[in-house]
Amino acid sequence: MIVNVGNVVQPPITMPFTNIETIPGQTIVQSMGVVTGSTVRAKNIFKDIGAGLKNIVGGELKAYTELLQESRNQSLYRMLADAQARGANAVVNVRFTTSSVAGGAAELLAYGTAVIVAPMNIQ
Amino acid sequence: MSDSIYLIYSLLSLSPWIASLIGTLIYQNAKKETLLQREKAHSVLNGDKLSTLSKPLGGREIKEFTTVMASVVMSPSWIQITIGRIVTLFGGEINVFTKIIDWARREAKQRLREDISKAGFDEVINLRLETSIITKTNGGNDKTSGVEIIAYGTAIKY
Repeated sequence: MIVNVGNVVQPPITMPFTNIETIPGQTIVQSMGVVTGSTVRAKNIFKDIGAGLKNIVGGELKAYTELLQESRNQSLYRMLADAQARGANAVVNVRFTTSSVAGGAAELLAYGTAVIVAPMNIQ
Repeated sequence: MSDSIYLIYSLLSLSPWIASLIGTLIYQNAKKETLLQREKAHSVLNGDKLSTLSKPLGGREIKEFTTVMASVVMSPSWIQITIGRIVTLFGGEINVFTKIIDWARREAKQRLREDISKAGFDEVINLRLETSIITKTNGGNDKTSGVEIIAYGTAIKY
């Protein structure tokens, strides 16, 4: 379900999730509560040194962009696993938020509302 | 003898600053110019594909959707960090940092545009932008710093 920007693995759980309030074409039957997934990841020391050198001239630090892509996929996977464990079949209103807890590490939190959806023509 | 050693030492210690100056003036401007060309190719000024509305305009029906994300980590150069520190003493707008953050956001949004047109989607709705700081702290002297931007939204097909 994810269109990725780099070469990153896709989460093995395929469950529709959106950051709008509904799943288009479907109707929400039941809410299963808030689901979250978070991860704190770091690059290795060599990538840190490389980023430190790139920092001299400024511009994009590719190693850290990669780090973000890895961590957002990991947190999404955890969020979807949480939703699956609750018996939901979709997650709506997904939000991402980032923070830096320690040097060189990035925290990425994904949260949303797990719901059970059904196709609109059934009701 | 000791004079020449001192000269070599001072040249070596100055070299990252020379690299920083060249990088700030030439490398960063070249990258920004490329970004501008990429934005023009997607005709950003007349009808952007990104919007922060939660529904497509005109009540159009959504046939297909997916969540898309793009992220970027930008860092100011040593020269820019030094200028920023000096300006902080006087207060007011720190222009060098404003430019870096603006550049990072434009880059993230442009990646979303390129991404969805490659995958054949028409529009991104409910776009959100998240910002945070990434730093490598090995003691107090480390200069490595950057700003991370995540742009995400729902790509749709009419």
